Amino acid sequence: MAPHDSQLLKGVLPLLLLHLLAEQESYGYQVVQRLQAAGLTDVLEGTVYPALARLEREGRVASRLVASSSGPARKYYRPTPAGFEALADGTENWTRHTAIVNAVLTRPLPAASR
Amino acid sequence: MPNKLSPIDHLRIERLVWTLDQQLYDLPHRTRVAKRREVRDNLRDAARDVGVAEALRRLGGSRRLAEEFLAAEYGPGPRHSWVAAGYFLSLVPMLLLYALGEAENAFENGVLAHDPHVTGTFTWDGIALLQHAVTFTFTDGHAERVGGAWTPLTYVLWLAGTVLVGRLWRLLPWYRRRRENVGA
Repeated sequence: MAPHDSQLLKGVLPLLLLHLLAEQESYGYQVVQRLQAAGLTDVLEGTVYPALARLEREGRVASRLVASSSGPARKYYRPTPAGFEALADGTENWTRHTAIVNAVLTRPLPAASR
Repeated sequence: MPNKLSPIDHLRIERLVWTLDQQLYDLPHRTRVAKRREVRDNLRDAARDVGVAEALRRLGGSRRLAEEFLAAEYGPGPRHSWVAAGYFLSLVPMLLLYALGEAENAFENGVLAHDPHVTGTFTWDGIALLQHAVTFTFTDGHAERVGGAWTPLTYVLWLAGTVLVGRLWRLLPWYRRRRENVGA
């Protein structure tokens, strides 16, 4: 399978992270696993962790340490009210944009241009 | 089945974490420590799943990760550097004191070379613009020195150099952006 366009992914990654965290409070590596399970198998941890840090600095996610049976306490992230708001806005924008892009991309091409 | 990490695996993870930590010195101390812990824990989890080599590869290298973390904290684009400013602020006085001290010693040695048992008072003007005059009082070849303090210009150059080397003027737009983000 072809790798995902890293620029495209970077643009939509915060939205994906907010959605995943809204579904279930998770720690960094768990978020990566969930992204990979969703089909983004080539997503790099080095992209996800800074994106979480950015969301936290922007006040869109909050974190807390949760004791772990298998080692030190883990930092779990969950969206803040501002994060939920950003998720709703971002989802709406994404849906609108993809509808436009899909509408253009699915138009039939003239035979001469192939 | 998760892999058990060997001491070598732990060392490889620690090496990455230590390197990353060095590259994150411009972050506030608490943030840096938190990042270090989080990356270490995540790396250990990943290494148990896919092996330490693959876990490190998927992190994309410490330099790139550090750059991403710094961009997440301070925004993309050119940034100030507290580390560079700190080095300049602390190293320049040491170098300057050494250089000025050596110059004063040279003057003293010059006087003693002329007369090893000299008695009297001699004044050296110091390094022009950087230093006040130094007065040497010799008693049978033993010198006491007074003066040689930095001039105000030296302090100004020292502080200006710190701002330049640390690119601290970039703090102004950073603070402005931060205020705007908080206000938004």
